[in-house]
Amino acid sequence: MFRVLLFLVFFVLTVSAKAQRDTLLARNITTTSNMIGIGGVNVLDTYISPEKYRGTELRFISMTEKRRLGNALSYQRILQLNLSLPHNRARTADYLAGMLNYSWGLHYNFDLLDEKRLNIKLGGLADANLGGLYSTRSSNNPGQLKAYVNITPSVIASYDFPLWRRVFSVRYEADAPLFGVMFSPHYGQSYYEIFSEGHTDHNIVFTTIGCAPSLRQMLSVDVPIGKATMRVGYVGDFQQANVNGIKSHSWSNAFMIGFVKRFRMSKIR
Amino acid sequence: MKPVSYILMFLIPLSLLPACVDVDEKPNTRNGNFEALWTIIDEHYCFLDYKAQEYGLDWNAVHEKYKERADTVKTVFEQFRVFADMLAELRDGHVNLTSDFDNARYWDWHEKFSANFSDSLHRIYMGTDYGIAGGLKYRHFINDTDTIGYIYIGSFNTSFSENNLTYVLYLLQDCKGLILDLRNNGGGLLTLSERLASRFTEKKILTGYMRHKRGRGHSDFSDFEVQYVEPFDGLRWTKPVVVLTNRSVFSAANDCVNRLRCCENVTVVGDRTGGGGGLPFSSELPNGWAVRFSACPFYDVNKKDIEFGIEPDYKVDITSEDYQRGVDTILEYAIDMFTSLLP
Repeated sequence: MFRVLLFLVFFVLTVSAKAQRDTLLARNITTTSNMIGIGGVNVLDTYISPEKYRGTELRFISMTEKRRLGNALSYQRILQLNLSLPHNRARTADYLAGMLNYSWGLHYNFDLLDEKRLNIKLGGLADANLGGLYSTRSSNNPGQLKAYVNITPSVIASYDFPLWRRVFSVRYEADAPLFGVMFSPHYGQSYYEIFSEGHTDHNIVFTTIGCAPSLRQMLSVDVPIGKATMRVGYVGDFQQANVNGIKSHSWSNAFMIGFVKRFRMSKIR
Repeated sequence: MKPVSYILMFLIPLSLLPACVDVDEKPNTRNGNFEALWTIIDEHYCFLDYKAQEYGLDWNAVHEKYKERADTVKTVFEQFRVFADMLAELRDGHVNLTSDFDNARYWDWHEKFSANFSDSLHRIYMGTDYGIAGGLKYRHFINDTDTIGYIYIGSFNTSFSENNLTYVLYLLQDCKGLILDLRNNGGGLLTLSERLASRFTEKKILTGYMRHKRGRGHSDFSDFEVQYVEPFDGLRWTKPVVVLTNRSVFSAANDCVNRLRCCENVTVVGDRTGGGGGLPFSSELPNGWAVRFSACPFYDVNKKDIEFGIEPDYKVDITSEDYQRGVDTILEYAIDMFTSLLP
């Protein structure tokens, strides 16, 4: 009798445990990271000056990646803000420079190697940028508005590896705009003409990788520390354009640090 | 294939993708700074062709003329002087070279002519009971027969609002006419020029054109873009207006005279304006000196440059006899126009 009772208890517990597992349906894996960083920047805009300005940059990156379990597609959202105060060679003038970037896109995932340790994503982003330069010295053409949107092929590779009994992850992402649309004054056109007089002259420019060859890339390592995961990495942000007779670039190389959260969205049936 | 190979497979080609968009900075040497300055003007200055026609300016010859001097300077002060002399060849009040120790300028356009304005005379006429509305100083002039309104605008760097203008014109509405004194107005905000002119026309009028450079060549310009003045949607002045000018009316004030003279009831009295018919841009040299130059030319309704000034309808100078007697000849001429010449 006791054996029968013990069997029934074991059976109920087993079945209920199984039933309980069945009601929790994992749907999405969401990975968010928030990072801040500091680095060097090299800024050129021949509309304002033929000189390159160099200085320190502060950068913030917030990134979210979501993937439905069992689905090869994942989506990504990136919000970036960078601010800098670079100076000219002679240190007689500064720029106030800043850019807000928002990207949203889809990737197709390839899970490779044993235990899917290597993940490669190929996809594209819609990439919107708004910012500008302001020269603290010039009075007549003191600033340059930066506004452009791109369609940007994107590749991400991440590899998980064990170390010191924990799982580390190294990740690389590169986004290079293929084509887009950019605002730009013409070579010697003033903002007074454009905005006060309404005289436009090819100010909305169709850009390609040929005239606006740019690249954003990030190499990072996720380091588990206790229950948290720290992400440290390098960001290279190379935004360039040669349109309307105006050459411009902003080359940033920054060291980033932040935290990553990875959580699973489940549904109870 | 090893995992590292997968990463490198993407990393290497993507790093090669962006070809550099870059320029070769001129070296911060005597020659480098000289070439940088000459090149900035050569590629961006908008009046090289016009001034070649007007007085034979040859910018390539200027290079040869000053390069030798620039190569032999021994101090930055000498270098600055050579550069200033080279820029003076442009005969342009909008051209400046600015260092920590000096500001090179070309002021012949007013320094070599009669001032035709005097602070002491102005003080006599203004008295102490004038009104101030933003950048506008105004009062009534009352003589035996008439009351005439007077507004002095000494600069377009001090702004005035639409409300300022409305109140001033309202307070002067009982006057037979209006004297708009722009003498010694060296310019400032171009938007104020348009704002002021919009009070003196009843219809949309063509007042001129402007262009901008589209490339490095001396003749690489955009098409002529029209400039209009549209009537202000509110209080406007429909009675006669006399605008007073002298050689120190420059830049945005020069543009304002160009716009005002297209309005129906406006007469320009005084001396030729100083000019400055190019919207200035700024740039810099490797050594950090700032350089300013004319970049976008303005034209009158006949597409003629206004870089060297605008002739008045009535040329009047302050005579030395009047000056001794405390009389502003130009202002008195304008008052006489209302009392005798104008209906």
